[in-house]
Amino acid sequence: MNSTTRAPVAPQVTYERIYVWQWGVRAFHWINATAITVLFATGLYIADPFLSANGEAYDVFVMARIRQIHFASAFLFAIAFVWRMYFFWFGNRYARSGFPAVWKRKWWSDLVRQATDYLTLNVGHGHLGHNALAGLAYTLFVIGLGWCQILTGFALYSESNPGGFWDGLVGWVIPLCGGSLRTHMTHHLFAWGFVVFAIAHVYIVLFDSRQYRNGLIGSMITGFKFKPVERGDDDGAKP
Amino acid sequence: MATSVGTRPTTWDLLRTHGFERRDFLRFCAITTAAMGLDASFVPQVAHAFETKPRIPVLWLHGLECTCCSESFIRSSHPIAQDVILNMISLDYDETLQAAAGHQVEEIRRKMIAEHPGEYVLAVEGNAPTKDGGVYCTIAGETFEKILLETAEHAKFVIAWGSCASNGCVQAASPNPTGAKPIHELVHDKPIVKVPGCPPIAEVMTGLLAHVLTFDRLPELDRVGRPKMFYGQRIHDKCYRRSFFDAGQFVERWDDDGARKGWCLYKMGCRGPTTYNSCSTIKWNGGVSFPIGSGHGCIGCSEANFWDDGPFYSRLATTRLPGVETTPQAIGKVAATVAALGAAAHLVSFGAKQVLSRDADKGSSHPETPQR
Repeated sequence: MNSTTRAPVAPQVTYERIYVWQWGVRAFHWINATAITVLFATGLYIADPFLSANGEAYDVFVMARIRQIHFASAFLFAIAFVWRMYFFWFGNRYARSGFPAVWKRKWWSDLVRQATDYLTLNVGHGHLGHNALAGLAYTLFVIGLGWCQILTGFALYSESNPGGFWDGLVGWVIPLCGGSLRTHMTHHLFAWGFVVFAIAHVYIVLFDSRQYRNGLIGSMITGFKFKPVERGDDDGAKP
Repeated sequence: MATSVGTRPTTWDLLRTHGFERRDFLRFCAITTAAMGLDASFVPQVAHAFETKPRIPVLWLHGLECTCCSESFIRSSHPIAQDVILNMISLDYDETLQAAAGHQVEEIRRKMIAEHPGEYVLAVEGNAPTKDGGVYCTIAGETFEKILLETAEHAKFVIAWGSCASNGCVQAASPNPTGAKPIHELVHDKPIVKVPGCPPIAEVMTGLLAHVLTFDRLPELDRVGRPKMFYGQRIHDKCYRRSFFDAGQFVERWDDDGARKGWCLYKMGCRGPTTYNSCSTIKWNGGVSFPIGSGHGCIGCSEANFWDDGPFYSRLATTRLPGVETTPQAIGKVAATVAALGAAAHLVSFGAKQVLSRDADKGSSHPETPQR
C-alpha cells in the first residue's frame, strides 16, 4: 500500500549499527561545547561587568576571577583544538569526512545536494560521517572562528606580559587588527559567530536525527550511528 | 637659537660659556640619566656624551597639527625643555619657537640640509594632507608634503611627534577630507620613531631626545615603532585603580558612590586597558596627575584610530564594518536572531509537511478519495 512506502520510516526497515565517532572525537566535542559556553558567558561579563561588588577592594576579586575562568577555559579550548587536529590526521575516516575538498567535484555536488535536501525537506541520500554542508560549517565556524579566537584571544592575553612568551608567539596579531581596542572588538564580534553556529548546529542535528533516523544525537555519546540496511549510504570515506 | 649652524659646539662647551660649573653639569647629567630610566652607572657615559659629542642639529617641522605637542614639550620638567633646547640639542628650525621668520628661516632649513646631510634629526609635528596636490597645508608657498619629503631625504632619522605624525589623529579620522597621512606612510627609507599621544608626555619627548643624544641611536622600538621604554606597557597595568578593576568595582555614573570612592572607570569607557603609554607612571605636569587620577577615563589618545573607535564613554566601541556602525554586541544579537528565525521557519515548514503528508496518507486509505 501507499501508506507504507510514503511514511518517513517503514516499520520493517532493519538498521545496521556502525562505529563512527571515536572516543577522542567525542571527547573533543563535549570539551569544546563546554569551553565555548563558559568562554562566551565569561566573555560577555568581561565586556560588560553587570555585577557590582560591594565592600573593600581587598575582600572581593570578581572581575579577576571571571577573567581567570575565561583564560583557563581558553587554554582548554586551545588544547582541545590540537587534540582534534591529531584525530583529523590519524583518526578513522569519519574524523575528516566532509572537509571542504574544494578541488573535488564530488564535494561540491554533495554540498548542493545536502543543502537542497534540507531546504526541500527531502530525505535523499544519507551520510555516516559529516556531509559536505556540515564539513563546510565546521570548517568555517569551528576551525576558522576557533583559530581567529585563539589568535586574538592569546594576543590579548599576552598584553599583560609585554615581551613574554605569548607576546612573542601571537603579539603580531594586535597591530594586524589595528590596535588593542580593535583586537578586543574583533574578538568580541567573532564570539557571536559561535552563537549563530550553536543555534544552527543544534537545530540541524535535531532535524537530521529525526529526518534520517540515524541516531545522530546519541552517536556523539556512544559513537555509533545507524543506517537502514538497504540504503546505499555514502560512508564518508571520500569527502 | 639658529646660530650653531657650522660651529657645532658640544653641550659642555655651551654650558661652560654660560658660566655653569662642573658640579652643575654633572647634576644635569645625573637628572638626564634618571629621566631616561637608566641606572646611575650610566651617568659617566651620559656625561662623556655631553662633553664630546657636538649637539645634534634638529629640524622641527610643523604640518597639519594643533601645536599641543610643542605646548607639552615646553612644559617638560625632567629635563626642563629649556635645557634641551639650549643645551642638549641644536634646534635649528622650529616655526613655533624660532625667533627668525620668513625667507630667512627657510634659508636656514635649506642650508642645514645642504651642509649637514645625514647628520641632522628631523622631528615632525603633525602630518601632511595629500589630497588635491597637498594644498591643505602650505608653508612659504610650498606644500608641507614637499617640505617633509625634501627634509626627510637627508635626515639621520625621523621623530614622529604626537598622534598626528604617528597615526594620523583627528585630521585623518573618517572621512579624512584632506587625505592626511601619518609620516610612516610618506617617508619609507628612513628610521622613524613614533612618539604618539595627543600630546605626548613632555618627559617622554625630552627623554627620547636625551637618549638619542647620549647613545647616538634610536632606543629599542616595539612592533609599531614606539620606544619600548615609554610605550612598553598599558596604562591599565600600572593604574592605581587596577585593584578596583580586579575586584569588579566600577563607576556606573559620573556622580555615583563608586565615582566618589575612586573605583575603576572601565564601564565609563576608560581606554586604559587598550592604551600603551606612560601616563600612569610618569604622569603629567611634572608628575602632578593624569586623566584617570582626575576621575575621567583615558580616551586612548596615543592609540591609532582613537577618534574613529568611539564613543569615548562606552566600553564597547563601534565596529567599523563597511556600512555598519554599531557595537559587536548589537551585530551579534541580530545575527543570532536571524539564525533562530531561520531555524524556526524551517521547523514550521517541516511540521506542516508532516501534517500534510499524514493527511494525504489518511486520505489515500479511502477508496473513494482520488489519488494525488
